[in-house]
This record gives sequence, C-alpha cells and structure tokens, in this order.
Amino acid sequence: MNARPQQDEAEIFDDARRMTNPAERAAFLERACHGDAALRERIAQLLNFEPQAQEFFDGVVENISAANLAEISAAEAPGVDEQIGTVIGRYKLLEKIGEGGCGVVYMAEQQKPVRRRVALKIIKLGMDTKSVVARFEAERQALAMMDHPNIARALDAGATETGRPYFVMELVRGFKITEYCDQNNLPMAQRLNLFIQVCHAIQHAHQKGVIHRDIKPSNILVTLHDGVPVPKVIDFGIAKAIEEPLTELTLFTAYAQLIGTPAYMSPEQAEMSGLDIDTRSDVYSLGVLLYELLTGKTPFDSQELIKSGVDHLRRTLREKEPAVPSMMVTTMQGNELLATAEHRRSEPVKLITALSGDLDWIVMKALDKDRQRRYQTANGLAFDVQRHLTNEPVLARPPGRFYRLQKLVRRNKIIFAAGTAVALALVVGLGISTVMFFREREARKIADDAKQREIQLREAAERGRQNEMLLRQEAESREKIVQAAVLLRNNRYEEADRLVAALPPNQENLAGAFVFRTLGEWHALRGEWQPAAERFAVLLRINQPDEMYSSSMDFSMQAPVLVQLDKLADYEQLRREMMRRFADVSDPQVAERVLKNSLLVPASGEAVKTLQPIASYISVYVQGMSTAYPDKTTAWQLSALGLYYFRQGNFAEAADDCRKCLRYVGPEGPDSPRLAAANVILAMCEFNLGHREPALEKLAAGKSLIEQKFQDGLKRGNGFAGYWFDWLLARVLSQEAEAMKMQKAP
Amino acid sequence: MPDHDLTLLLQSLGKDDGQASSELLPLVYEELRRLAGARMRQEMAGHTLQPTALVHEAWMRMVGESDRTWKNRAHFFAAAAECMRRILIESARRKSRLKRGGGQAKLNIDDLELAAASPDDKILLIDEAIGRLEKDDPEKARVVVMKFFGGMTNQEIGEHLGVTERTVERHWAYARACLFQIIRTEI
Repeated sequence: MNARPQQDEAEIFDDARRMTNPAERAAFLERACHGDAALRERIAQLLNFEPQAQEFFDGVVENISAANLAEISAAEAPGVDEQIGTVIGRYKLLEKIGEGGCGVVYMAEQQKPVRRRVALKIIKLGMDTKSVVARFEAERQALAMMDHPNIARALDAGATETGRPYFVMELVRGFKITEYCDQNNLPMAQRLNLFIQVCHAIQHAHQKGVIHRDIKPSNILVTLHDGVPVPKVIDFGIAKAIEEPLTELTLFTAYAQLIGTPAYMSPEQAEMSGLDIDTRSDVYSLGVLLYELLTGKTPFDSQELIKSGVDHLRRTLREKEPAVPSMMVTTMQGNELLATAEHRRSEPVKLITALSGDLDWIVMKALDKDRQRRYQTANGLAFDVQRHLTNEPVLARPPGRFYRLQKLVRRNKIIFAAGTAVALALVVGLGISTVMFFREREARKIADDAKQREIQLREAAERGRQNEMLLRQEAESREKIVQAAVLLRNNRYEEADRLVAALPPNQENLAGAFVFRTLGEWHALRGEWQPAAERFAVLLRINQPDEMYSSSMDFSMQAPVLVQLDKLADYEQLRREMMRRFADVSDPQVAERVLKNSLLVPASGEAVKTLQPIASYISVYVQGMSTAYPDKTTAWQLSALGLYYFRQGNFAEAADDCRKCLRYVGPEGPDSPRLAAANVILAMCEFNLGHREPALEKLAAGKSLIEQKFQDGLKRGNGFAGYWFDWLLARVLSQEAEAMKMQKAP
Repeated sequence: MPDHDLTLLLQSLGKDDGQASSELLPLVYEELRRLAGARMRQEMAGHTLQPTALVHEAWMRMVGESDRTWKNRAHFFAAAAECMRRILIESARRKSRLKRGGGQAKLNIDDLELAAASPDDKILLIDEAIGRLEKDDPEKARVVVMKFFGGMTNQEIGEHLGVTERTVERHWAYARACLFQIIRTEI
C-alpha cells in the first residue's frame, strides 16, 4: 500500500462515519472513492465494525486498576526479586550485583562442567526491545572478542526459555579502582602502575576493534590475584565497533553517549554526532581517570556538568581548560588537601611537587580538546606514564635540551659516579704495566685509551655534577613555589611574597604562574607598582600557555603598570611580545585587550601599522553589531577602536567610536573603567580637533571617575565591572590627556 | 534512577526522530514501575490508579513542569506509551498463562467471548492486532499506542508526529476500526 491513497482512506472513513443517514453515507462513499470498488468495499466494511470497535476500546486501559499495576510492580520491584534461585541454563542465580538501564547482573553459580561463581547479565524483563537487544548483543560480541588479563572474560551466552538473551562473564570481585587506591592509601607509583594496566586493557580492546566509550572508575574493578592487585575492565555496555557495526546499533549510540558519564566524556563524544568517535575518545577518558587517581577529583565537577544542561556541558568540554592536576590539588581546602595527600602516603607540599611537571603534562596531553594532539593510542599514554616512572623524558613535555639532560642524569646518577672510579683504577694499573717493556706498546695504547676515556668520563661527571646542582636548585625553587601557593590560599601574602622574592624564574611550572600572578595583583592593588611589575615579569616569563584568553589577561596587567612606572623601554618590549603572540587572534575579547594595551603611549606609524590586522578584526566584529545600541562587548571594542584611530591621527573617527561607546552604560552603572577611558580618549580627540571646551568637559568627567576609584582603593574587579588594570589603563591615558591640556592651552 | 540523565537526553533529542523514543524506554520503564509500586503502597484499597495518570506523574517527577518544550514532552510520552504497553501486556500474559494453566495458548475468541473479554484479554488482543497493523501502516499503529497506552491528547500526538490534531483524530478513528476488524477476522 502506498501512503497517498491510505491518507485518503482514513479521511473518507472519518467523514463517512460521521454521517448518520445511510443513504447520504452511501452517496458520499460512491463519490469519494471515484469508482474504486475495492476501496469502497473496504471502507464500508470498516464502517460496519465502527460501533463495536468504539465500544471495545472504551475503557479498556482505564479499567486497568491500581491492583494490576501493584501486581506488576511487585513482581519486578527492586529488592523483591523473584528470580533469585531460579536456574537459567546451567546457572543458578544467587544474588543481584548490579543493574543498569536495561540489564541486570547477577552473581550466579555454574553447576557443570565445573562448579564456579560467574556473573550473568540478562536483559531486564520487558526491556527486550529491538534496540536494547542490539546493544546487549553488541556488548556480548565485544566481550567475546577480547582475551586480556585486565578485561573480564566472556564465558558463555544464551537465551532464556522466553527468549530473553543473557551472557555469562568472569565474576570480578573487587572495588572501584579509585576506591581501592584510597582505601589502601596507595602511593603514586602504585596508582600509576595500576593505571598502566588499564591502558593496556583498553589498547587490547582497540586492537580488537572495540571502543569502550564509558571508561570510568566504576567500570574498572581492582581484584586481588594471589595478593597482587589486578584491575579489570568490566562494562562494555556502550562499546562500539571501530570498523563496522557489530550489529545494527549505530543509529542510537549517539543517544547512548549521553547516558554515559559526563565527567568522563570527551569533547567529541559530547558533540553527539556519534559518528565520529574513535579510540582517542577512550584516551581522553583514560586521562580523566588518571586525573582522578592523582588528585581524587575529575577535571570538571560532574554535578556541575550535569546541572548546567547539555549545551553548557558541551561548551565546557569543548572550550574550558581544566586546572592542571597540581593546581587542582593546590586549590583544595586544607583538610581536603591533607586527606588527599594522606591517601597517597604523602604530604601536601610533596604531593603537589610530585604532580607538577611530568604528571601535569601527561594528564593535560591526554585531555587535549584536540584529539590530534592527544596521545594517539592508549599504549602511548601508558608508555609515557612508564617513562615518568623510570625517569625518562616524557613525550608530553615540550622538548627542551636541558630537560632531557636532567632526566639523563637523574636516571644515571650511579653510572656517572662509577665511571670516575673505573678511570682511577685504570691509571693505577698503568703504573705497574710500564715496567714490562714487551708490553710497553700495548700499555701505551691502553694508557692513551684510558686517558681519553678518563677525560670523557671526567667531563661527563662534571656535567653530571652541574646538572645535579641545577636539579637541586630547581627542586628547591619548585618546593618554594608550592609552599607559596599554599600560603596564598590562606591569604598570607607577605610571607609568600618574601618566600619567592629571590627565586630564579622556574620554567614550566604552572603553580608558579598562580603564585606570581596573585602576588603581582596583590602589590598592584596596594599601589606598589614596582614590585607588581617584577612579579608580572616573572609571570610572563614562566607562563606561556597556548590558551590566549588567560595569557592576554596577564599581558593586560603588566602593560599599564609599566607605563605607570614610566618604563617605556620595557613597555615597548612587552608590546612587541604581544604582537608576536597575538598576531592571529580570533577572539574578540582578546583582540580588544591586545589592541588597547599596545597603544597606551603614542606609537610610531610603523607600530600602529602592525596592529592593523587586529584593528580590522575588531572593526569587522563591531560592524556586525548594532553600534547605535551597543552591548557590553561591542562597547569595549569601540573604546579600543577609538584609541587605535586616535593613535593613527584619525581623530574624527576616533571621536565617533568613543561617542558610540559612551552610549552604552552597563548594569554596573556609570562607574566603569570603560566609560572613563572612552571619555579620556574622546577628550584627547577633541583637543586635537581644536574643540577645547568639550575636551575639558570630557576629561573632567573621565578624571573624576578615575580619581574617585583610586581614592576609594582599587578592587580586583571582574569581567563585568572591569578589572583594576582597566582602571589603571584609564588613568594612564588620563595623564596623557592632562599633559595635552597644558600643551594645547590657548 | 538518575533524573538528570533523562533531562540531558531530552534536551539533546533532535527533531522528528522516532529512534529517540525507544532510547528513552529503559529510563521511563524503570520509573514507571517504581512509581506504580510506590503509589500502591500509599493508595487506599479500592482507589483506581489509571495508567495515564501514572505516565503524567512519571513525567512530572523525572522532568518537572518548567521550561520543557512540547517536543520533549511529546517524546517522553511516546516512550512512556510504549512502556505502558509492555508493562500491561506483560501483566496480562502472566495472568492469562495462569488462567490457562501455563503455556502460551493462542488466543482464539469468538464473538460471544469477545464481548465478555476481560480487560486483560482485550489488551492482549489489541496488542496483537497492533502488531499486525504496524506492518501495514506503522504511523497509524503509533497513534494507537500513544493514544491507547500513553493517554496522550491528540495535540500531544500531533506535536510528536508533526501532524495536525485533526489528522490524529482521523487516524485514531480509522486505526481503531482496522484493529477491531483484525481482531474479529484474523485473530
């Protein structure tokens, strides 16, 4: 039957059944069926059944009473499980041990051929819909393909008398991997060893063409084999075949993903296209697992992820950079930090020190938003963790010669020392051998060789010694940074500041960035510009994150501080550095910050020219928005553009942008650094255009805002009301305008 | 059962995707059963608890009333309807098996019996007829399931299927007659 006539059939039927007069109805049918006798006959027959049909259907469902439903729910209610003790195939159900969306897992006893306990997973009663069965079948097949000591083994499969499929697995008795680690206070190295085994299991699955897609602690149980802890991956419930579908499950896996676990989900998994998940998605989840084993927390709080709704969840996973593990631990409250350390048989400072460095890098590489930049395989991740354990350079670390060398020395401490001893022994032996003339030549050769070797070894030893020293220094300063971070958490700024004041900047230390940024801001808010500039200088030297947003913030702090201090050479250098880093910026807020902070002082035509791409990026952005009624972001952009045109000498255009900017007063009210700056820039334009009166008025308006702010004491601020450095920027410009007022005096 | 999972799932549902409803099944099923049990312990004897009321309550508990679109609500109800169908069929089968002394005796009912059929028997008959209608005319079969087992209004069904209320009404009347014809002549 094709759809079109059927549509008509239903319509004809419906119209006809409403006609009470048989003759009228017959005439209507004749007409409506266009002479299609078969159709007319069918409808006429249906019409005959119509009254009975109505009666038959009426109240059937309504008559199902509470009693029926009670009976149904009693039969299946959790805890009142009638199935305990029943025998399915060769298995007797003993106890329910788990329950998922559509399957139940029982501990069961196998009677023949061997008596043993197994886990039997069966589809819930009534849940045997096509899609559920397909998924269930996929899991069974996935498990059956795998043969690995760290994956629960599939043993058997079958169907009950009523046709519900089940399968039988090795019974894994153990704890969630995170629980096991914490209960036994496993130190870091042992945790990492367990983790490596998990990676190998997942790699095995990948080699068999199966993506697990739901790696999380509750799916990895640790069980003891002869006293040795062995992790086992148990649940392949939403696993997916890599190459070809195991069954017809491809359609709905996209939805299954969201029934997965948000905290462990890779960004591409959350996107839910579902078609584009590969093994690197598991690598991401392994990264989350590693994160949790190290810090006790997941990179993003799962409750928050869930509460935030699906769009926000996706955005978080796609855009937000999680705190690196060492930072995550550093920001814990005192008690929590202590407990976390104790669970790892460590102390807070030692724990943080242990995490910062290799482990931070490894975890962050596994968690990269861009799967191209993750470890490409689970084995790759495992190898890097292994390298860390044996003090070899890890791949996650950006390559640097010094770093590789220090690893070499750390690894070969004993060999370096032993080398020197061997050299000495050779020299002594040489003294004896010289008496023997006939061996002289040979001896000389040995002596030469030995000498050569001695020199080499001595050099190596010397290098080693130096490296050891550097290494010790590095370790010491790293420790100090960590202590400072802990002090800062407790608002003990003076002590922290003293601790790090004389510290050589320690590269690649992310906790250091936090310490120096916090201290720099602390000084700045107290108006201590000189020490602030020093802290920020260290911050900018040690912290070069790829992430543009936060690093543009760091530059925005230092730029006005340097101008305030009149350190124009340093400022010029900073400006160049900004240009180098943010040349191809693609974030409107970052562009705005970079543009205005590059133009805090009059700039050469050349310098203004280099900013052209950023300015045009912003102006394109602004053109897309309503400048008649600008919003907050547009208003900020307009103020930056105004400054740009002003520096270019295009005063009319600059003044225009400033005026547009001033049209928007945000919820924070007129007390905004953006309005202050726009007033000041506008004033400077007016001076240059020869409009002295309006210029003085605007300058006064801007200055009164600024002076009030600094008089009241600067606050750190926020993205809405503006930060302290936005105010400082306005003040720096107002000082320039003030000078202009004198210069251009009539 | 984690309610937020359902919320996420609902939010993520694309448009006109029949698959989505069946994806909801496990979640809804669980909740419906749990609810039925819980409600029974509270209800006084003699009160009847209508399945449709149960579905509505499940919706309220799992998703709440606020800020959900009709589309999601309709999705949920379609899934719930399918669940209700399974729950009722299961119960009816169990009882019918007991009555007939086990085994899955084929229903064979003449007119007289049909008139006096118990609600359970009726449900089994209707379900089987729906099964046949699904083969010929899946869309109308879906309307029946939603209307009959899910207690959805014509508006809700229309939302879910993307057709007008009027069309739903026609389909329902037509399908009902077809089903009855199937029951009378084929089963």
